[in-house]
Amino acid sequence: MRTFTRKELAQYNGKNGTPAFIAYNGKVYDVSSSFLWQNGNHQVLHNAGVDLTDSLERAPHGADMLERFPVVGTLQKNK
Amino acid sequence: MAKVTREMVENSGVNVDQLVELLVKNAAAELTTYYYYTLLRFNLIGLEGEGIKEIAETARIEDRNHFEAIVPRIYELGGKLPDDMKVFHDMSACPPASLPEDPTDVMAILKVLVEAERCAVRGYTHICNLTAGKDHRTYDLAQAILNEEIEHESWFSEFLGEGPSGHFLRRGETSPFVSKFLK
Repeated sequence: MRTFTRKELAQYNGKNGTPAFIAYNGKVYDVSSSFLWQNGNHQVLHNAGVDLTDSLERAPHGADMLERFPVVGTLQKNK
Repeated sequence: MAKVTREMVENSGVNVDQLVELLVKNAAAELTTYYYYTLLRFNLIGLEGEGIKEIAETARIEDRNHFEAIVPRIYELGGKLPDDMKVFHDMSACPPASLPEDPTDVMAILKVLVEAERCAVRGYTHICNLTAGKDHRTYDLAQAILNEEIEHESWFSEFLGEGPSGHFLRRGETSPFVSKFLK
């Protein structure tokens, strides 16, 4: 499985036809298929291509939502 | 636009442009849900389906009421609805509550209904969290809608066998929480 740096992850921001990847707790998920992640944006406030671990703690849903999406890699710590 | 209204909300620390976009997305969710629930309700037939038809109809009408209640707030805050209905549909805060592949499968219809309500409950909780103690009018509106969405979720959840809803059907009225915004 691929390992992503934060810089690499940022390239998958869902804009201009690129896939939308997000990281949570060290795993990278492909949310491109989600209606709620069109153009790499989710509910106005969240963008793809970043680590959303902290944001998810404050979200009105749990991490179980991510189980619907394929894991495409892991996020390298502190890079 | 209500200029001072917008200024007060901005001064409270709320990003008004983001809030307006969220309200537009949720207005889209309400109107599209009203449409999709029309299809779902028509397909709730037979011994199993008829018993659910009435609450699906109540939820449908109340979702339309939510749309009607949200739109004035969007314009007060300086926002607007898109000119293009398709753009509006596609920007919805919730996925389309489409008919299941087998429209005679009442449990599948119930799952669509409960998922739509759960999306709405999350959405309005989010708006309440963003506006609590800051934008009193939007908070009041979102909280009123949230109260109704929670009841819708609990009705459908009960029929899915997840436990008692704790509520009865509406008795002739609709939108007991939101109606004050519709006068």
